[in-house]
Amino acid sequence: MKKTLDLIPLIIFLALILVLFTFLSGREDQLESVLVDKSFPEFSLTSLSDESSFKSKKDISELPALVNVWATWCIACRVEHPFLMKLKENSTIKIYGLNYKDDRIKALDLLERDGNPFEFSIYDFEGRLAIDLGVYGAPETFFIDKEGIVRERHVGVVDEKVWQEKFAQYLDD
Amino acid sequence: MIPEIGHIILITHLVLSFLGGVMPLMAIFTKRDSLVLPIKRLSLFLFTLISLSFLSLVYSFLVDDFSVAYVAQNSNTNLPDYFKLAATWGAHEGSLVLWILAMNAWLISFIFLTPSTDKRFLASVFSISCQVIFAFSLFTLFTSNPFERILPIPPLNGADLNPSLQDIAFTVHPPLLYFGYSGLLIPFAIAVSAMLFDIDTKKWAGYARPWALMSCSFLTLGIALGSWWAYYELGWGGWWFWDPVENAAFVPWLLSVALFHSLITSQNRGVFGKWSLLLSIFAFATSLLGTFLVRSGILTSVHAFALDPERGVFLLGILAFFIIGSLTLYSLKEFKFESNTYELSSKEFGFLLNNLLLVVLAISILFGTLFPLLYEAYTDGKQISVGAPYFEIILFPFALALGLLQGIALYLSWGQSKSFSFLPRVLIESISFFALILLLLFVLFDNLYLSSFATIFLASWIIVGTLQVNNNRNIGYWYFLKKRFAVTFAHVGMAILTLGVGIVTSYSLEKEIILSPKESFEFGDQVVRFESIEDKVGPNFLSKSAIISFENGKNTSEVITEKRTYSPSGQLTTEAGIKAELFKDLYVSMGDNLETEIWSFKVQIKPFIRWIWLGALLIAIGSFFSGVRQIRRT
Amino acid sequence: MTKSLNIFLLLISLSLHGNDYSQADFDLYPFDTQEKEDLFYSLLNELRCPKCQSSNLAGSNSPISNDLKREVFKLVESGKTAEEVKTYLVQRYGNFIIYNPPIEPQTYVLWFGPFLLFCIAFLGVFLLRRNLSK
Repeated sequence: MKKTLDLIPLIIFLALILVLFTFLSGREDQLESVLVDKSFPEFSLTSLSDESSFKSKKDISELPALVNVWATWCIACRVEHPFLMKLKENSTIKIYGLNYKDDRIKALDLLERDGNPFEFSIYDFEGRLAIDLGVYGAPETFFIDKEGIVRERHVGVVDEKVWQEKFAQYLDD
Repeated sequence: MIPEIGHIILITHLVLSFLGGVMPLMAIFTKRDSLVLPIKRLSLFLFTLISLSFLSLVYSFLVDDFSVAYVAQNSNTNLPDYFKLAATWGAHEGSLVLWILAMNAWLISFIFLTPSTDKRFLASVFSISCQVIFAFSLFTLFTSNPFERILPIPPLNGADLNPSLQDIAFTVHPPLLYFGYSGLLIPFAIAVSAMLFDIDTKKWAGYARPWALMSCSFLTLGIALGSWWAYYELGWGGWWFWDPVENAAFVPWLLSVALFHSLITSQNRGVFGKWSLLLSIFAFATSLLGTFLVRSGILTSVHAFALDPERGVFLLGILAFFIIGSLTLYSLKEFKFESNTYELSSKEFGFLLNNLLLVVLAISILFGTLFPLLYEAYTDGKQISVGAPYFEIILFPFALALGLLQGIALYLSWGQSKSFSFLPRVLIESISFFALILLLLFVLFDNLYLSSFATIFLASWIIVGTLQVNNNRNIGYWYFLKKRFAVTFAHVGMAILTLGVGIVTSYSLEKEIILSPKESFEFGDQVVRFESIEDKVGPNFLSKSAIISFENGKNTSEVITEKRTYSPSGQLTTEAGIKAELFKDLYVSMGDNLETEIWSFKVQIKPFIRWIWLGALLIAIGSFFSGVRQIRRT
Repeated sequence: MTKSLNIFLLLISLSLHGNDYSQADFDLYPFDTQEKEDLFYSLLNELRCPKCQSSNLAGSNSPISNDLKREVFKLVESGKTAEEVKTYLVQRYGNFIIYNPPIEPQTYVLWFGPFLLFCIAFLGVFLLRRNLSK
């Protein structure tokens, strides 16, 4: 009885080491989206290209689609941009932009210069839709399926690898 | 050249610590006198070597030797000299050298201050300590070498020390903390030696007690400094965030407090022998664990050294090796039976309760800190945060129980307390003291908050309980100063800290405001005015510097708050302007420039906040002197 | 005598905070009641900045924190309770954003663990004492 009691500290400690060891092997470095498996939120914001024209959820009509959060102040978005252009060309998926807390003119200039992969961009100056989406920075990309349900969210640059590993699987659903 | 010398010295130190870690124990077990080493000389040599290695790193910083990669990553020609010195421990690699230096310092102190009546015991403690030192040195040289060079073309200038570290507190906070953490090495080595050589409980506890006390003292100071620094540096007026790294220091602190209380009992009464052994092991374990958590990258924190998991594995390995080793020894060992003859009313039982509360609290805090990781694992990816609100709720009942115990602790007697007649007196006087404090608060702040009553009463209870004892013994205050000074300081310090915490939590005022120059507004009992704003140039930064005045009837004070942009990194920091008074702090930090000349500010009044650190200082002084006195007695 | 009695009664009556709420013109976050303002600042301490490594909204100046502060301000000003504000944010950012973890089956061990552990340890000590001292 006494001897087994003496083993308890050792056993507890071994368990702790094991637990800590498993934690070392790679963790998510991004926040999981709680919008997964929920409907894309409603919104009413102007289009980036035309401030008199309002866009809402029903305008994201060609599904499945990607909604990409971007801005001119976001350096990583510039890195991502070429891939989005490639995706527009080679894939059936449509991309909609969410221009996040940006300057309208600068944003339009950028799309002029570097190309526009978006069907249209929503001008979210105050970041209201972004908050409803649980966005906390740029770039972020959401995958919306045929029913308008959010299936996946990626924080950071979407490149070929991310596309294959995270998003491509939902194309056939 | 100097970095190479430092490097070679570090390698020499490594080899010697290996010898020191192996040979003394071998000599004892094989009974071969030829293997016996001169412990004192060796410890002195080791300490000298690591000091020289450390100094060569400091030298590299002071002369701006950017060919040393570590210097290039953490310094800059424009950095003021005292920050160049501090930058030595500004990042992982250099801080490890400091850790090793601290361990050597404790070892050499132990070796020279402990009477060499039992040479085997000294040799054993030395040897085990050397093993730990060796492990850390190995880790440093193989994965985190501060002496690596950038060749053939060194950069012209360095990346600069992180601006939020460019502060006077940074020159003292890490060293104190590392000395606190590493000091727990000695009780650990003593405990293992006690198990190896069947040393009588009273004896080994007597040896370990002062080192547990002094480690606690350094940890107290280190943590308090960290709190004070976060308060004025981070700009939002908070002084404890329950951040994983803060918790990683708090847990060993709690265990070190439990440890020396347990050692007091073991030394005086010969009981709690096994428990003291376990605590000695676990206190050091949590100290190593803290080091691991902070550097492995598994916890996100403002503080965490940005590191890779590979180094984490090595550190985990060190932790595993020593603790599994010592716990295995513990499991296998046949312990002598010890008689537990003490009543529930006894001092022993009081200490037992104290230990129980402290240890369960420590486990709970550790668990809470790691919980988000566990949760993510068993919910398959869901994320959760465990922060201040949770820890405060958990802490409260434990702190309450500990405080109540602390108030009567000094009245208890070993074996059995003959009477509890002191209780009514202590209760009544505590209530009077409590009422007095409430009166003071009402006079100062015009308000009484029910939410603060529990902590204020607790503080009163502890103060009365601690100071009354001396009165009861009818010996007068010279007795208190001579015989009870250490524990009085420490316990009263705890009470003052509790008082500060309770009051600042309930009585703080804060507001974010928009002001143009010359505009003022009323806040609490002050009139706050935005006097002026100007551009300033510092040694390595540019700033927008605002002068804010606080006026209260006749008294006016001015503080400066700034927004700084540091030159090499471009990083922005906010420097808060603080006017510290005895009963409150007036605090303002700059916000954003909303329009030309119009700025937002966050203004706060923090009553009694200094008392928190004052209390901590008293605790540190008390525990340190208690440790010193214990060393003289061995 | 009556004077000190009055003071004593005053203390006993536990007067609560009774300042007139005024000077909203300088507030970055103007509220119409003190309760709302207190709620707002206490929420800022309890809500986590989603982008920062480890910081609450009160201690962060990042753009997302400022946006969220504005959001919390609007919610509190419109009369939402603490629970409602937290639910609103959790719906968008998950439980990560509140520093006080919810009490649900998967967190029972977190919330009840400490107390349970203490009870078990306390009982354990009593049992061991009886076993050992004879």
